[in-house]
Amino acid sequence: MIGIQLAGNLTQGLILGGVYGMATMGLSLIFGVLGVVNVGHGAFIMIGAFTTLLLFTQLGLSPIIAIPVALVIGMALGFFFYYTVIIRLTEAPELASLLATFAIGTLLEESVKFTIGTEFRGYNWDVGKISLHITTLPMSKIYAFVGSILIALLLYLWFSKTRAGTAVRAVMQDRKGAGVCGVNVNWIYALSFAIGIGLTVTSGVLLTMFIPVGINPYMGGAYTLKAFVIAVLGGLASPYGAFFGGLIFGLIENGTYTLFALVPSLEPFAMTRFLSFLILLLILLIKPTGLLRAK
Amino acid sequence: MLRVKDLESGYGPMQVLWKPSLQTKKGAITSLLGPNGVGKSTFLSTVFGSVKPWGGSIYYEEKDVTYMPTHKKVEMGLALVPEGKHLFPEMNVYENLVMGAYVKKASRHREESLALVYSLFPVLKERSGQLAGSLSGGEQQMVTVGRALMTKPQLIMLDEPSQGLAPLLVQEVFRTIQKMKEEIGLTVLLIEQNADASLSAADFVYIMHEGRIKAKGSPEEIKGSPEIREAYLGI
Ligand SMILES: Nc1ncnc2c1ncn2[C@@H]1O[C@H](COP(=O)(O)OP(=O)(O)OP(=O)(O)O)[C@@H](O)[C@H]1O
Ligand SMILES: [Mg+2]
Repeated sequence: MIGIQLAGNLTQGLILGGVYGMATMGLSLIFGVLGVVNVGHGAFIMIGAFTTLLLFTQLGLSPIIAIPVALVIGMALGFFFYYTVIIRLTEAPELASLLATFAIGTLLEESVKFTIGTEFRGYNWDVGKISLHITTLPMSKIYAFVGSILIALLLYLWFSKTRAGTAVRAVMQDRKGAGVCGVNVNWIYALSFAIGIGLTVTSGVLLTMFIPVGINPYMGGAYTLKAFVIAVLGGLASPYGAFFGGLIFGLIENGTYTLFALVPSLEPFAMTRFLSFLILLLILLIKPTGLLRAK
Repeated sequence: MLRVKDLESGYGPMQVLWKPSLQTKKGAITSLLGPNGVGKSTFLSTVFGSVKPWGGSIYYEEKDVTYMPTHKKVEMGLALVPEGKHLFPEMNVYENLVMGAYVKKASRHREESLALVYSLFPVLKERSGQLAGSLSGGEQQMVTVGRALMTKPQLIMLDEPSQGLAPLLVQEVFRTIQKMKEEIGLTVLLIEQNADASLSAADFVYIMHEGRIKAKGSPEEIKGSPEIREAYLGI
């Protein structure tokens, strides 16, 4: 019985992990290229969640349509905040960019609070479900998983096959070397930041496809924390590392949930959160360059 | 070809360049000599645009490029071999070289540039699939020079290309620089601390001290002046 429950939870964990991974790629990309830690990461996920919610409840549009809409909104926000704020901070001490991205996150949260309010919201997108022997999966979760993998794949292809993607890799590996080759480094910064935020807002759509409730202006905080753990798992500056880090994290989170639930008087949900921090601490102590990075 | 006048720049509040002026002649090797920390690299970085000029002017091919962004200068045929290599460690030799052909003009000549680089440094062809980070110091320097040649330059600026290399390899570097001039027809601006070698390679020499040009002339004139040699070159 426990075996089945564990297998079921691990399946859910794998799916959620794919979405987590996708939700961390933007953070890693921005850190890898600009060296900026986006502390406001979760607020952009929240923007994606509200985009999905509003399109669905106000216009009756499916969350699938929200994916490209969120990407466009995210990239527009990314370019806007790059040219208004981040452009001044790429040479500045880390504390400056931490404060600035924290401020951007707060600004987004308070703007949404001011215009929409703080109630928890949700939506119900029923597209059927499939019953496996071990668990029942709503189709919406499967779409979220497939969407995450497709987006991660597209990013991979963009990185490895296109001129701009190659330039981004070059800037990540040696900014000055890229400049010598005639890469417009400022433009690559702007583009990477915009794509990073675009991915993050889009991940907000996928996350609500997985968990269509609890949408509120402050929902991002928990995701910021998880994204940091995942990014560290995956090697911080590597978007693909982040994706695999997400898969592992989803498995651990859901697998241990089952185990924690066996212990009476433990609140399993709170324990998984405790566990995230424990993992973060352990990795930072043992292998601070990330588990999945060779270097 | 390159005409720099009264260039000023620095880092934060610290001024490094105090109005040096310098010109290169088309198809010649011009050398900028001087001891440690006098501002030679800063001069090249400012000409290239990675350090912002505070004042003065930079003309390239009779065009004012003082405040032009670096990627446009690369497109115009200005190349820099920076101090400290700056290769892409997780790309292989071939990918590093191809990155040099990034700008549009250079990408049109990619294959012929690649053939040129491989003929200049045959060992790079053998190493083409190897990660740049795994090469020896001398081979990495070849990739750095090769990558600059891939940008299809007319003027190539080299920042201490012989630094940290064994004496035999230093000779090889200077032979390559001669080839760039004679066989490829490039204009060369060479920064060196190695006074002996660059005095014999150069067609014209500038001597920098504390951010200023203290002397200039043909290598013979510099060699023939004991005062200059003693005061600035220590030879
Ligand atoms: N990025 C930087 N930030 C701050 N100061 C710098 C920077 N680069 C160089 N400097 C300072 O500017 C001065 C000139 O340095 P520069 O590197 O131009 O000299 P150099 O002649 O190239 O010396 P070397 O022969 O050692 O390469 C030095 O005092 C150096 O400490
Ligand atoms: Mg120097």
